[in-house]
Amino acid sequence: MKSYRYAVIGNSAAAVNACDAIRSLDGEGSLAVFSEERYRCYSRPLISYLVAGEVSAHGMYYRPARYYQNMGIDFHAGVKVTSLDPAGHLLVTREGEKVKWRKLLLATGFRPFIPPIEGLEEVDYLTFVDWDDAKRMLRLTAKPVASLVIGAGLIGMKAAEALHARGSAVTVVEKMERVLPLALDERASAMVSERCRRENIGIITGQSVSRLEPRGGHRGKAVLEDGSEVPFDLLVVAVGVRPRVELAEEAGLECAGGVLVDKHQRTSHEDVFAAGDAVKAMDLVRGEPAVNALWPIAALQGKYAGMNMAGREVPYPGGNSMNAVEFFGLPVLSAGVVNPPDATYEVITRQGDDGDYRKVVLRGDVLVGMLVAGNIERAGILTSLIQERANVRRVKGFLLEEGFGHIHFPRSVREERIIEAVAGLPKPAGEKAGAGKGKARADRGKGRAR
Amino acid sequence: MIRIVPREEYCIGCRLCEIHCIVQHSKSKNIIKAFKRERRPVKRVEVEEHGHVSFALQCRHCEEAPCITACLSGAMQRDRASGAVVHDPERCVGCWTCILVCPYGAIRRDGEERRVVGKCDLCPDLEVPACVANCPNEALVLVEE
Repeated sequence: MKSYRYAVIGNSAAAVNACDAIRSLDGEGSLAVFSEERYRCYSRPLISYLVAGEVSAHGMYYRPARYYQNMGIDFHAGVKVTSLDPAGHLLVTREGEKVKWRKLLLATGFRPFIPPIEGLEEVDYLTFVDWDDAKRMLRLTAKPVASLVIGAGLIGMKAAEALHARGSAVTVVEKMERVLPLALDERASAMVSERCRRENIGIITGQSVSRLEPRGGHRGKAVLEDGSEVPFDLLVVAVGVRPRVELAEEAGLECAGGVLVDKHQRTSHEDVFAAGDAVKAMDLVRGEPAVNALWPIAALQGKYAGMNMAGREVPYPGGNSMNAVEFFGLPVLSAGVVNPPDATYEVITRQGDDGDYRKVVLRGDVLVGMLVAGNIERAGILTSLIQERANVRRVKGFLLEEGFGHIHFPRSVREERIIEAVAGLPKPAGEKAGAGKGKARADRGKGRAR
Repeated sequence: MIRIVPREEYCIGCRLCEIHCIVQHSKSKNIIKAFKRERRPVKRVEVEEHGHVSFALQCRHCEEAPCITACLSGAMQRDRASGAVVHDPERCVGCWTCILVCPYGAIRRDGEERRVVGKCDLCPDLEVPACVANCPNEALVLVEE
């Protein structure tokens, strides 16, 4: 029976970042990755770029070809783990192979949610979450087709954009009143919708699909709530994703709408860790655990899970919802609360003449959310203030200004953040008695201090 | 590991650092051509200014770099030899996630034909980075740790 010090189930952002973290602390311990897919680690969010022709197949890979070899990882590609025995420190594969481990990471990710729509089962619909989906979409759009996308969340909108790039006539149907209802606020949604409509992407909101009438293969017709009909040659279902918790649940690990973990990404069994889209971990803004199925969050959780698995006890700093998107030349970034639920939040917005839009959401003196569209430069400063739960009372008036930055922080805060090493540096030549401009110039480039 | 440290008490907000950064990252590395004839690269250093206070800021090459963890494509990485946070434009897809998470606002949109970002690379071809070498007041200094 094979036996590993570390076993990782999954092969995406959380898994790979966990492997990196483990190897940064333990170069020797045996490490295995079990991946249901045959691909070596690739970036799922790039599938829309692949379909649109913006990324080559080679560009999909998140790590170099020799990654597993270089890192000393036993890579089990195309091997699905079907059951776990935490007490016995055992996992079993679909082929019935039993493998021992000492520390385990569950990075099982999400699965697309398939809504119960009448007639859906008789249509060869697509989801749009992995490389195989992208390959199918590429094949099916070799000739221009009429596509229908159900769901205007991130996955649906990225699918619509990719289909549009393939010359497809696209219609998107969304049950909520607007596109990207979770990632964006009303105004930003309208900005994105407008760009899409300008590109002849049909956007139908506030309507759900009542039933589907299959016409063989991928073709069919959707009948909407109001009775209107949308025929399609290709259907994409993108109404949401759900954490893949089956393996954890069947193994008796605590789950509640996601695998539950403590601050060290440890599940209810001390040798089993979990990270990524299947996991409910601390959300800094909500102040309670939440599933944030986002690549950067998965990567961060994986990193912390890996460190803890390798014996360095470091708490996960927590995450928050965030999104970076661009549709037809309009970039939009958001983080934290963008749609405040009640009047206890303060909202400040600014709409520039050139179509720029900025918004911050505060609760008391704490910044809890931001959204910028158009001019997105330096928005990360706002994100960091959200994550630091910083008191922004003194800079509130500047938050939405173009030049907002560290200059507006109190000097002590600024220095702590930026100028870590200023103390003890020599004064510049220009300040020494009698030294003129020439002297300063002669000293140019000699400012290397130790 | 080298870092560039700003000293606001000596910065006069002249923005020569921004200009020389652009020149250094241009195709010709010639100031006139870079600004007048070629595609002007994005500046990788930014002078922040408010009243009489100013300083220049570029990538901090953070030890716990949020941009590396957040990068969707694997384009943002740690250079093992120098310790610097380096960005591979070939692998960048311009998703802007790094811009969303950089606490210093030190990453900018760049590129024309392809969407990519640009950030401070510590001028690997130079003994001293262009912004430091061309600051008239030593308001930017190199610190070696």
